[in-house]
Amino acid sequence: MKQLLRFLLLTLVFTTSAAVVSNADTGSENRVDLIGKVVDKYYLDFKPLTTIELPRLIYDQGEFHFYRSTTSLLTSRSDLFTDAAYVDAYPVTVDGRIKPATYQIVRLDGTSTQFDFSITNHLVFFWFAALLTFLIFIPLSKKYRKGIGRNTEPQGPFQNIFETLVIFIRDEIALQNIGSQKYQMFTPYLLTVFFFILFMNFFGLMPWGVSSTADITVTAALALVTFAATQIFASKDHWKHVFWFPGVPVPIKFILLPVELIGLFTKPFALCIRLFANMASGKILILSILGTIFIFADLFGSGVAYGTSWFWVFLTLFIYLIKALVSFIQAYVFTILSALFIGMATADHSDEHGH
Amino acid sequence: MNPVFTQGLLDVDFGLFFWILITFLLFLFLLTKFAWRPILNALGEREKAIKDSLEAAQKAKDEALHISRENEKAMKEVESMSQRLRKEAIEEAEALRADRTEKAKAEAEKLLEQARGTIDQEKKKALMELREEVAKMAIEAASRILEEEIDEERNRKIVDRYIKELT
Repeated sequence: MKQLLRFLLLTLVFTTSAAVVSNADTGSENRVDLIGKVVDKYYLDFKPLTTIELPRLIYDQGEFHFYRSTTSLLTSRSDLFTDAAYVDAYPVTVDGRIKPATYQIVRLDGTSTQFDFSITNHLVFFWFAALLTFLIFIPLSKKYRKGIGRNTEPQGPFQNIFETLVIFIRDEIALQNIGSQKYQMFTPYLLTVFFFILFMNFFGLMPWGVSSTADITVTAALALVTFAATQIFASKDHWKHVFWFPGVPVPIKFILLPVELIGLFTKPFALCIRLFANMASGKILILSILGTIFIFADLFGSGVAYGTSWFWVFLTLFIYLIKALVSFIQAYVFTILSALFIGMATADHSDEHGH
Repeated sequence: MNPVFTQGLLDVDFGLFFWILITFLLFLFLLTKFAWRPILNALGEREKAIKDSLEAAQKAKDEALHISRENEKAMKEVESMSQRLRKEAIEEAEALRADRTEKAKAEAEKLLEQARGTIDQEKKKALMELREEVAKMAIEAASRILEEEIDEERNRKIVDRYIKELT
């Protein structure tokens, strides 16, 4: 029964994605751009209510171009920039103004601009997560400064909940993986990373919210910080293990050198991909399952679609709950792996032998 | 739509990367300075205080136990000492009493002896006196007989009268 259900699910997911792709090819009006829902945008998406365009900051040919929205950039500098969709076509105007189509700003000849520092959807939600962390923990630290929790027990659910998380990260993640000598140095970083990722993941569960962690750029930036931390604070032993592996014959040392060098980079790469793939796939999965209703409507008629829709909605709910769980798990996994990598790099093997 | 510039799922956007990095590092710094350090320090202090007070409590408990043991020991010592003293006192008292009884007995014996001696002497004295008296009386009776030796009859009567006088 379970296997049958799994098979059914898998089949449906694959047919769904195939159908969405084929729909996209035909360009019918019912097309839902699945990937477009996940990728970054230069506007806040409150469809069907409204979309709010975000400021554009573009550095090109030695100067910064700052405009409060894509539309205003396209309208005021139509001699310099255009939307990527209009490169091959003549600029389409609505009521005499150019409206962005893809929001991808390029030069008039279609070549990309030098640097696009524009504020994006994911960046805004990253800032939300940062701000939320700030707004939670600054008042909390004031409480501790006043002595509540320092001299007395923590008071109130607010302090209790977050103190539990903070202590968990300090004791179970930092202390366990980095060791008692150096964990205090890295605990703030792990706390920051954990709460940022957690809040970003949770934003993805909210209506109109997006999880910035479903963007490989964001996860890459976070992984880069972990990578930098491991390399900057690496111990002498770490470098010895990378370049001249101790305790093995010389030919093996030469074989291990590239392996260890690659290993340096696969660790943050895995961090980056894992978080991104988990968060993006959740969203894609939910959209795919909901899309099944419309595919059924196309394939078997709307009667079947209505009849089976309860199942897809129920399945979506199930996936949604899993996403909530995954939000926690992935924040935890990223943090614990960061701690593990930092612990491995900063460990001193002088008093112990082997691994 | 130009496919080259369409956002892909795996595209890394430099601008976004830049902003995320800057924001993250800024917030990492701010949070570390104003949130994490105070919170972690407070937690550390609290844990240390709890640990210290637990240790102090354990120490105090140990000390109390030690003291109570010592007290018990002292108490036992005192008790055994008092028992010994009592026993000694009883023995002493017993000895004293035995001694006294002995003395008293001896005293009584002595008194009795004295009394007996006195009685004997008194008796001897009385006997002597009696003897003297009898001799005197016999002399007196004899002298009267001699004086008034008229007849047998009269003699008898005199002696009888004399004896009567005597009694």
